Amino acid sequence: MNAPAPAARRSRPRAKKLALVRYAILTLIAIPWVVLPFWVLLVNSWKTDSEAGTPTAALPTRWALVDNLKTVIQQGRYFIGLKNSLIVAVPVVLGVLLLGSMAAWSYARTAKRSLLATYYLTALSIILPPAIVPTVVILTKAHLTGSVLGYILALVGTRIGVIVFLTTGYIRGLPLDFEDAAQIDGANRWQIYWHVILPLVRSVLFTAAVMTVINVWNDFLFALYMIKGMANSTLPLTLYNFANAGQYGLRWNLVFMHVVLTSLPLVIAYVVLQKRVMSGLTEGGVTG
Amino acid sequence: MSSLSSVQAPNQTRPARKARFRVWFALPSMLLVGFFFVVPFIANAVLSFTRWTGFSNTITFNGLTNFRQMFSLGILVHSTLVTIGFAVTTMAVQNLTGLALAKALQQSNRVNSVFRTVFFLPVLMSPLAAGYIWSAVLDPHGPVNSFLSLFVRGDFTYSWLGNQHSALLAVGFVDGWKWCGLVTLVYIAGLNSIPRQVVEAAIIDGAGAWRRFRSIEVPLLAPAFTFNIVVTLVGSFSALDVIFATTKGGPGDATSVLNVAVYRQYGQGLFGTSSSLSFMIALLVIATAVPLITYLRRREVTA
Repeated sequence: MNAPAPAARRSRPRAKKLALVRYAILTLIAIPWVVLPFWVLLVNSWKTDSEAGTPTAALPTRWALVDNLKTVIQQGRYFIGLKNSLIVAVPVVLGVLLLGSMAAWSYARTAKRSLLATYYLTALSIILPPAIVPTVVILTKAHLTGSVLGYILALVGTRIGVIVFLTTGYIRGLPLDFEDAAQIDGANRWQIYWHVILPLVRSVLFTAAVMTVINVWNDFLFALYMIKGMANSTLPLTLYNFANAGQYGLRWNLVFMHVVLTSLPLVIAYVVLQKRVMSGLTEGGVTG
Repeated sequence: MSSLSSVQAPNQTRPARKARFRVWFALPSMLLVGFFFVVPFIANAVLSFTRWTGFSNTITFNGLTNFRQMFSLGILVHSTLVTIGFAVTTMAVQNLTGLALAKALQQSNRVNSVFRTVFFLPVLMSPLAAGYIWSAVLDPHGPVNSFLSLFVRGDFTYSWLGNQHSALLAVGFVDGWKWCGLVTLVYIAGLNSIPRQVVEAAIIDGAGAWRRFRSIEVPLLAPAFTFNIVVTLVGSFSALDVIFATTKGGPGDATSVLNVAVYRQYGQGLFGTSSSLSFMIALLVIATAVPLITYLRRREVTA
């Protein structure tokens, strides 16, 4: 996408001026759309209770950053939430990627109707809404209600569809030569999957992993129904409980400090991996 | 097996063993999808026609009683309409803003990638967090109203989320804001997949920017439209988080989408009626997705 044709045909100064106008407009849009909400989030998380009573865009006159941090960590059970979120997110993402890509390889290379029928069911799970109440019943019958394990399994079962769908489409477009060559060289099924297929689908899996991480880290709906008790709560649930704990409505400074801390891990990961995330998502990974 | 193309022929030497190992590789995924999607989905459909509460151990069929009860209480129709209103609002916000941003940020250069990164930030936030942030920004005494106060006499203290008339639009906007960055990227990918020669030919033929957009980009973007419109619409039928963080279904019942109603029935131990409302979401998804995909697919053309 270097040096697009229209720019070359136009006289240079005019194209430059147009680009400047466009960036000015984009900046004017970005200020209320992104900068303002995040600014309000940050400055109010630094304020004292009384000053954050009405949320404004002004800087704090008295800083309460450390106090708010302490309150959120102690009363907001931040580290318990962080620990639980990690306990949930890591196995869910790894499980979804591993089991999803394994299934996708089968689905992409089979002509067996019965097997393909399960593929279509899996693809349906992307678009049809999850039926939560019966899921809770199933977990109760399996003595997994309220536990983190039941929640992990339910998340894998409902989030794996996207990975299976995207990866199956991708593998179907790959030639069979690599797999055949590996087989002739004496590799077994697992070795073919691990050493041939997995490296080939890495880019799709990365894009899928980004979406799954965002989705699982932020999940509130399933957590609300499936997790019982403070000790098992993930970050969105601790945030919700913390925000609703006050008798006098939302205390913006504390709620926002919790929001900042809850979002921080994802934002850090995003800043570090930003280039790869962007290129992965714009190269059509989502539409498959 | 015989219908396979010749490309796949070498793979078919030992069909029986092959097939079995394929099943083993797909089995874990199949089981998880089965237990946590297929079984609950069917169970939900069945249970919505039963009398089932947390106060007794017996579940008995009662036909359409749950639906009739939800209908006569006004919950069924109202929540369905609110859900549709919410979904249409958020779909419109995401696709209009997303497409405009994609057009502006289509070229990959350094400035654009900074903008893309910035506009993607809201996608990372949880819908819950987005709800809290915008509750503050849209507070009667918050920044938006202070800004508007500059233009009107006196203090502008309209309660965007607290007023019957604007609450649904406001929560729909917040949800749209949260997801817009992702929709933008899908449209950018779509725009970049349009062959350069087609666009260049149109420029030589003297087509202006708007004409090129209308006659070339919009038709060739059809797959991206299909994906974005269906996903944003259908996805927001099961929204709950943004509403829990902002209005909790209020003021009155102005933002009680179906999933809020499902949670309320569930909280009262009325699992049967809860299931019937949840099944209503599924029906809504099917009734929207099937005709929409059929229609949008028909519009898809290739360059």
